[in-house]
Amino acid sequence: MDSPTLPSLIIACAIGIASGGIGAFVILKRMALVGDALSHVALPGIALALFYAIDPFWGVLIFLLGAAVIVWWLEGRTTLPGDALVGLLFTTSLAIGVLTIPNSEIIHSLFGEFSALSPIEFGVTTVLALAAAGAVIGLARQFLFRTTTPDLAQVHGLGRWFDLLLLSLFALIVSLGIKLVGTLLMGALTIIPASIAKNIAKSMKGYIFSSILLGGFISVTGLFIAQMFAFFPGPSIILFGVGLFLISLVLPRAMRT
Amino acid sequence: MEQNTVLDVRDCAVVLDGQTLLSGVSFKVCKGEALAVIGPNGAGKTILFKALLGLVPFRGTIEWGEGLRIGYVPQKFPVDKTVPLTVREFFLLKAKRFWFPDETFLEHLSHELSLVGLSQEVLERPVGELSGGQLQRLLIGWAMVDHPEVMLFDEPTAGIDVGFEETVYHLLQRLQKERNTTILLISHELSIVYRYADQVLCLNREMLCHGKPHEVLHPQDLTRLFGEGGFYKHENSAHRH
Repeated sequence: MDSPTLPSLIIACAIGIASGGIGAFVILKRMALVGDALSHVALPGIALALFYAIDPFWGVLIFLLGAAVIVWWLEGRTTLPGDALVGLLFTTSLAIGVLTIPNSEIIHSLFGEFSALSPIEFGVTTVLALAAAGAVIGLARQFLFRTTTPDLAQVHGLGRWFDLLLLSLFALIVSLGIKLVGTLLMGALTIIPASIAKNIAKSMKGYIFSSILLGGFISVTGLFIAQMFAFFPGPSIILFGVGLFLISLVLPRAMRT
Repeated sequence: MEQNTVLDVRDCAVVLDGQTLLSGVSFKVCKGEALAVIGPNGAGKTILFKALLGLVPFRGTIEWGEGLRIGYVPQKFPVDKTVPLTVREFFLLKAKRFWFPDETFLEHLSHELSLVGLSQEVLERPVGELSGGQLQRLLIGWAMVDHPEVMLFDEPTAGIDVGFEETVYHLLQRLQKERNTTILLISHELSIVYRYADQVLCLNREMLCHGKPHEVLHPQDLTRLFGEGGFYKHENSAHRH
């Protein structure tokens, strides 16, 4: 049996931690599906990056940051059917992406792969993921205030800019995670740890902390499973997470954190 | 703006989705005063508060005194009850440090909780497990905790036990006296308006009266505002609609 390499485990753990952290707030904001759709915007970004022969991460990041601004802008306008527009825009991106990405790359783009990373790529990805996780923890109070009681937060001087910051961090973390689990499943990696944490947590600190730990644990364990059975890492990570979610549903209240 | 004026509203109107919810509202509130806003359901009272707080777009001028801290007690508890948030964490949203809060903040918190009749034990409980009355007390305590100069109460006694109504209004008086807090209050209880408010503002999509309660609240005004038999001045304030 092959074991995952140490760099791939470190990257999986860092991305998992960041995904768990941001996911805690995406779930509180009830944006799980918007977040999922947002990750599909990555595909045209990958296509463009492949066309210009640059690292797909940058193409993905630019497209996702653009999409984050669009979601943020739509959120403030109640007269438009925001969810329908988001759905249309993002499935259009998926369709364009599938048509424009070369066939040889499409499966890897959708479901993730671990290509051999150069030391620089390894360093940049790990540092960015941990920095994003640190930013989420450092801004937890502000994000929590905005997501749970936007009106009261506004009265206390925390405006909509914090929503944009949250979405931008989400875009960055999704961009980093796409190599790990692919565009179709990256949204799920942000949603699953937080969903499990919500089932087992009794306090907000417990919820955020559990979501972060679970993100790291699910990514690393999923990677081991993928290597063991020669699966794609993305589906292995997600299915392992879903398994834990099902267990969390039946966990007795006494065991909650 | 005069030095003693806390809030100056001139010809304020709120139009949302092409519908005029409020128009022609002008009034001033001085430091330490209590202003009661009355009117039937759908009169635009909550919308007026939201305009004052900058939560909805408005026309006209709303000018607050410089550097004021504002406490807001909304009508309903605003946090989704499935969110795993404890009472202590709800207060920590206002603290400087969320993860490792200051001891002084926590001590101060216990004191403010006792003022609204909540015990220390409630701090560790998730907000979703509290009763309606406890949530209302919590909201008032939460708005008070950082000693704001102005407090806006949107029907602070809606959905709470009768005994606590009096406590709330005594608390309002205490805030006015001890902290010189300016209070803006939406109320359905005319007896409260007569007993506690320095000024009253009658709304029904537009401003119908404004001034001292005993001077401006004539029976014919109330009929105009609420319709025949739609409103009743309680002699016994423990009474509820």
